[in-house]
Amino acid sequence: MLMALVRRLTLSFLILFMVAVFVFVATEVLPGDAIDVYLSADDLAVMSDADIEEMRQRFGLDRPAWVRFWEWFSGAIFGDLGKTLIDGNDIVDLIWHPLLNSVILGAIITAFTLPTAFIIGSITGYKRGSRTDGAVSTLTLVGYSIPDFVIGNVLIILFAVWLAFFPAVILVFSNASTSELLAVSLLPALTVIIGHVAHQSRLLRAGFIETMNSEFVERARLSGLPEKWVVFRHALPASIIPMLNSLALYISGLLAGLVVVERVFGYPGLGRELIEAVARREVNVVQGITFWSASFIIFMNLLADFAIIALDPRVRSAKSA
Amino acid sequence: MSEATTWNRIQSSPGTMVGIAIVLLHATVAFLAPWIAPYEATSIVGFPMLPIGTPDFLLGTDNIGRDYLSRLMMGGRTSMFVALVAISGSMAGASFLAISAAYLGGHYDDFVMRIVDTMLAIPGILFVALIVTGFGRSEAVLIFAIGFSYMPGAIRVIRSHALTIVPLGYVQAARLRGMSVFRIFLRELLPNCIEIITVEFALRMSSSILAVSALSFLGLGISPPTPDWGLMIAEAVKTIYAAPMLVLLPSLLISTLVVGLNLASDGLANAMGLDAARGLN
Amino acid sequence: MPILEVKDLKVGYVDVQRQTNLAVDGVGFTLEKGETLGIVGESGCGKSTIARALMGYLRPGGEVLGGSIELAGKFVFDLSPSALQKLRGEIVAIVPQNPLSSLTYHLTVGAHLREILQFHRGLSAAHAKTETLSLFEETGLPEPETIYKRYPHQISGGQRQRVVIAAALACQPAVMILDEPTTALDTTTEMQVLKLVKDLRKKIDTAIVYITHDLTLTNYMCDRVLVMHDGKTIEQGYADKIFEQPKEKYTRQLVAAIPRVDEPPQREKIAEEQLGFKLLEVKDLSFAYKPQWSIRQMFRKIAPKIVVKNVSFNIRKSETLGLVGESGSGKSTVANIISGLQSPISGEIYFTNDLLHPKGENRPPEVLRRIQLIFQDPLSSLNPRHRVGTILTGAIMGFFGVSRREATDRAVVLLEDLELPIDFLKRYPRQLSGGQQQRVAIARAFAANPDLIICDEITSALDVSVQAQVLDLLMAMQRKNQTACLFISHDLGVIREVSHRTAVMRQGLILETGETEALFEYTKNNYTKQLLTAAQRRDYIIEHHELILKTGSNSPRKMPFQS
Repeated sequence: MLMALVRRLTLSFLILFMVAVFVFVATEVLPGDAIDVYLSADDLAVMSDADIEEMRQRFGLDRPAWVRFWEWFSGAIFGDLGKTLIDGNDIVDLIWHPLLNSVILGAIITAFTLPTAFIIGSITGYKRGSRTDGAVSTLTLVGYSIPDFVIGNVLIILFAVWLAFFPAVILVFSNASTSELLAVSLLPALTVIIGHVAHQSRLLRAGFIETMNSEFVERARLSGLPEKWVVFRHALPASIIPMLNSLALYISGLLAGLVVVERVFGYPGLGRELIEAVARREVNVVQGITFWSASFIIFMNLLADFAIIALDPRVRSAKSA
Repeated sequence: MSEATTWNRIQSSPGTMVGIAIVLLHATVAFLAPWIAPYEATSIVGFPMLPIGTPDFLLGTDNIGRDYLSRLMMGGRTSMFVALVAISGSMAGASFLAISAAYLGGHYDDFVMRIVDTMLAIPGILFVALIVTGFGRSEAVLIFAIGFSYMPGAIRVIRSHALTIVPLGYVQAARLRGMSVFRIFLRELLPNCIEIITVEFALRMSSSILAVSALSFLGLGISPPTPDWGLMIAEAVKTIYAAPMLVLLPSLLISTLVVGLNLASDGLANAMGLDAARGLN
Repeated sequence: MPILEVKDLKVGYVDVQRQTNLAVDGVGFTLEKGETLGIVGESGCGKSTIARALMGYLRPGGEVLGGSIELAGKFVFDLSPSALQKLRGEIVAIVPQNPLSSLTYHLTVGAHLREILQFHRGLSAAHAKTETLSLFEETGLPEPETIYKRYPHQISGGQRQRVVIAAALACQPAVMILDEPTTALDTTTEMQVLKLVKDLRKKIDTAIVYITHDLTLTNYMCDRVLVMHDGKTIEQGYADKIFEQPKEKYTRQLVAAIPRVDEPPQREKIAEEQLGFKLLEVKDLSFAYKPQWSIRQMFRKIAPKIVVKNVSFNIRKSETLGLVGESGSGKSTVANIISGLQSPISGEIYFTNDLLHPKGENRPPEVLRRIQLIFQDPLSSLNPRHRVGTILTGAIMGFFGVSRREATDRAVVLLEDLELPIDFLKRYPRQLSGGQQQRVAIARAFAANPDLIICDEITSALDVSVQAQVLDLLMAMQRKNQTACLFISHDLGVIREVSHRTAVMRQGLILETGETEALFEYTKNNYTKQLLTAAQRRDYIIEHHELILKTGSNSPRKMPFQS
């Protein structure tokens, strides 16, 4: 069991390193370098070669790639993402509050989405083929087919334009207090929740149906155990494991959802910061956000793996796999 | 499962047939749009913000006076085209890598799978953002970014299916007949992965259309003045109090297209005895 | 009054096209207290459906279309859900076919019994535990305290089956249903489990419905037997009578098709004097799986898992060598090594006195052609996307470089040889039955006009009657083409039927090799004796060899080279 943990941990570090290489290389193979990205064609026209060279040195771009990579990587894992190109601000300072705001929003969404999806998924899976299942499954299919930004805008039209309950655009600064944020996070959270509950409950339904058709559930039923006991003791634990396995995909999807709703509602989060950075062509910022998000996913995946090791005795006693 | 029963099952499921009909309708309109649209979608042809039902402008005009019906008809073309090209390329690449990794195994397989793990750790939207920041906005960049970000998930699914086929007698028998790796790939492995590849293709088509329109909405995807539903919504949001319909109409079109695609791919997967509700990234 | 009475039972399943197919068609029988009834039939005859219907349970899509089941005075189909729940486990219990997938993997073995005792007999947790331990003791599980805390995947197949039996016995049910309980087990383990069931029945006076495809087992286990085919009853009667003098034609064929270990073979083999020169020689072959990369490996050297150890034998032209052993004995690995699918860690293979390259890919095409392998599972050995014609002509053209027309002509001859209709050329493998598929696989092997064919358990996925036919055709093809054969099987009866000489394998070692008849009649090797005893399924022999059996398979002695 200890070996399984150590193995997972090593693998996570390897992947973290590969993500860093990848994120770094992705910008390294760009036509030109950060300077060309940063300077517009007009700037380049009026600047002399010496000026540009001087700038390169200022940004340290004249040094070999692996030196820069190592500097960036060692900084990034210890919480230093470098400076922005345009005004030389510290990137971590820039994204710190938006990051926390997004974490709050993401946590609210997850706290609601996963339990709800679990309940809907297991009930529809259990009552497969029934009228309830048919109706709910149609709803969830529609739910996860509608883009987040459409749901968000429809909610705005409903609650802000027609009913005028809320203002359409959130006016909160990124360093706002948690209570201020909670007050404005209702609609953004609801937007993401609709799509994600629909998607996750479909995944769970499929997994639960498979479990309910398994031989061990049949044997438990044929042993004359109460149906509730069969479901809660035998079947449900077995369908939590696949859920943990798809955690990385859930978080990826959640991030995409956050980026979209933050834009729709103007919520002061990391997603909005990302879109602004892309517009300003701040490669360093996008790089930093990407690397940190990937690190978070890797970390959560590791936790999920540990949970699976704890839940599934087969994985626990496997010697190496 | 022979083709006949798969088709029978598709036919006997009303949801699937509705899905196929919706997708066909959308595809037809998008294909014929340049001929059937009343106006040029990118030119200013009337007063701005004309309401629905104005004579000559059935669905009104947008904030600078372009015919909305024409724009709606043209608005799905680019994202469907981008999704189709990106996913076709992505699935071709994924199938090749996944099946060859499953067949050859060893260090090659390990290498491919570690790359896949790495890619799966990077959220798709951030990957696209990174590429767009570097290369700028263009359809080619979008196709590359979308296609690439859909590959790792597909590789995982196809590889795990291919792993169940490689040890089977007919593949091993082909090896023992001295058949070349290339011919084994083409004759024995690929044809037996085609069902899972088809389902993956259908599922990822719908999810990538969602992705393209979301990216366009965010300003990372298709760039103006190309008419596109995602972009149109982003523009119409500015006048959401005055003309909510300008937001709702393209929203309705994207949603129906994706619902149709999902209904169809769900039904297709069911008919083939595969599980549709798998994780998509 | 009988404890169980089934009258004119009809059960159907609804298929995709919403049509109902009858799986059980008018079956009726009775079962007295303490009696054992065997229900025998080949796969798909509806016997498993009956097993579940007796408990008022049908798999999804199933529907009762007529008849009744009266169990301990209650009509099963009329019971309320709560009454049904009480019935299951307390009055009727089932031992399912596959114990590994039938036990919940995330619960300990002990928890499976404890919950039954708590719900049905209302025992406290502590009481349920002591009761579970005594049930484990009763079913012959070693160290009940340890087993109690284990998870299903951590115990052996035989132990799992004992756990499931203990669970079924927990409430001393009036009727116990055994649904192919030993199909997944080796013969020796199988006989221990069945002996346990017999002993327990004597003790607790439970009536048993024993469902199996193996007629010899019903003879060993049952008082009465019901033979089923296609959902219908063929005949019913006393077990020994049905086995010795079957009335119906179907049963007679079934009995005749069973290869017997204790009787000289019925089939004529190629005469000894026609066997030719030494075709294949295998010297000191060993195989081990490389340990997977792991952290542990960096600290301590892990010994590779040795599967085949110093195996040597030879095969003459036209000769059939039988290689017999239980699962995990390494016999399939030997087949894979000779055919070139796996590379040995040491040892040599000589084919017509030429040293073979260990990797199949590196052998000359001519050698690949001359050695052919036939697999266990017929369906998966044929590409489902290709028609039978393409499969055969593809192989012929690949080996001989002839025109498609010529290849088709040869394919037609092969189909005729294997008594398959010529229009099969246009069929897909899925449209054929298991036996037909295996005949196509044999045809593909013989399409290469090989000197040696390796048959890896080629009949173990088939029903007995089909097996008999496949063996006949295989031997005819061998005779016609003067082909030598390495015939691998766990079934001693089949080995005796087909092979000139027999080698017995256990845990990677060949224990003995000898002329088949001599070996079957006069073997001195204890393990071979054990195998033969178990295969004969006779009580008195089993009791006679009790001692050997006990040390035999329950706690396998570790070989010196295993760590």
